[in-house]
Amino acid sequence: MIITSAKPFEEILELLKNEDYIFVIGCNVCAAKLKTGGEPEVLEMCRRLEESGKHVVGWALPTAACSIRSYETLLEKNDKLDEALCVLVMGCGSGVSAVANVVDLPIYGSNNTLSLGGSSGGKLLSSQCVMCGDCTISEFGGLCPKAQCPKGLLNGPCGGAVDGKCEVDSEKDCVWSLIYERLKKIHRLDLLYTIHAPKEHAFK
Amino acid sequence: MLFNFREKLNSSKFLITAEISPPKGVNVSVPLEDARQLKGIADAVNVTDNQCSIMHMSSLAFSKLLLDEGHEVIMQLTCRDRNRIGLQSDLLGAYALGIRNICVMTGDFPSCGDHPGSKPVYDLDSVQLMELVRKLDSGIDFAGNMLDGGTSFCAGAVSGIDPEKTLQLIKLEKKVRCGADFIQTQAVYDVGMFEEFMESVNHLEVPVIAGLIPLKSLKMADYMNRNISGIHVPEEVMARMKGASDPLEEGLLIASETIRELMNLSRGVHIMPIGSHKNTPRLLSMAGHSLK
Repeated sequence: MIITSAKPFEEILELLKNEDYIFVIGCNVCAAKLKTGGEPEVLEMCRRLEESGKHVVGWALPTAACSIRSYETLLEKNDKLDEALCVLVMGCGSGVSAVANVVDLPIYGSNNTLSLGGSSGGKLLSSQCVMCGDCTISEFGGLCPKAQCPKGLLNGPCGGAVDGKCEVDSEKDCVWSLIYERLKKIHRLDLLYTIHAPKEHAFK
Repeated sequence: MLFNFREKLNSSKFLITAEISPPKGVNVSVPLEDARQLKGIADAVNVTDNQCSIMHMSSLAFSKLLLDEGHEVIMQLTCRDRNRIGLQSDLLGAYALGIRNICVMTGDFPSCGDHPGSKPVYDLDSVQLMELVRKLDSGIDFAGNMLDGGTSFCAGAVSGIDPEKTLQLIKLEKKVRCGADFIQTQAVYDVGMFEEFMESVNHLEVPVIAGLIPLKSLKMADYMNRNISGIHVPEEVMARMKGASDPLEEGLLIASETIRELMNLSRGVHIMPIGSHKNTPRLLSMAGHSLK
């Protein structure tokens, strides 16, 4: 799941200050789960934009904003798109880009895209993977230090962790402490002794 | 007579290293003057690399200025600000300018410093950086290309001193496996703890230079205990600082006693005062350290 957070409404209004006749596109996957672009949020956005003096020509909720086949498929969802002078996408950065690929109008995004995360046991998990394209997660018991350590350290923790908490965010567990506990649980503490080479950042 | 830091490391001499920070700006006179107090006292001067993520003059440039003044320098190099291209290029430049000793470390996160929004790099970690240095030493770069002249660095790394921190000890072992010539540690206040640490790393057979930050006040000791990972100021030291009529002097006395004890435990001490080295010569003579 792509983790997004909604920009403050005032910031969105500022983005749209020279725009009118807006079409709003939500996303019924990650953004819907995170309540940053599902149907209730799209309807609320339309209402607030209208309240602020903007005309909203219509809205649509594709299954995934990041996976739009064509302009026509959007029109099938709501043909009011033809009357729009700009589009506001309530998805992640990928959703905004996918819409921009098929709609020749000014495009705006209502969210900040934060990380590739997930949820487990009802708890939101941010930054679980940085999509490095060179996956070695099994070496760390299934927890990626590249993603979960702010410094992305592959060979052990930095010297900054205090009582198992991260130097950068004292609310957050040091992922290396979690990796240690995981590896202990699965009887693979031997993996801690591997010297890991740096990631190869091939252009993707 | 011993000439350079590498030779001294291989000798039985108790070593003194001391930390100097480059200026924040181009006026180099104050830190150069501070470093002059270490002449004839310190076996090498560590030059910090944008310590605490606070932007300063580069460690490389200031190391060269110190070298020109006749100091033996240890250029510190963090993984925070440069990718593997930048790191190698600076290392080649440093070597060509005469810098022979380096000390590699991860580096504090940018949010700790005065440019909190800058992009953290950490393309390599400190273990991989040590590996990189050894490649340059063997005449090839990190990608395996031949160099027109390789380096020959005396390269150290850093470590905490808590013997309970298994992950830190494993990481230290990796640094040594990658070829660390020496280790400089976090500040020691609890000599008993340091002794245990030394026992747990004894098998690595690497020279360990113990860190030392003379206490200036009870408040400082308290701050260290609460906020600095791996630093443990024991109760007894806290009590002495609390009862001292002149805390600065008491801090120096405690530090000098620590040095005396460390003489039997470590290969040397690394002095990192908060502020200037004004008291460093006196501290060392209080500790009974004979000058070279």
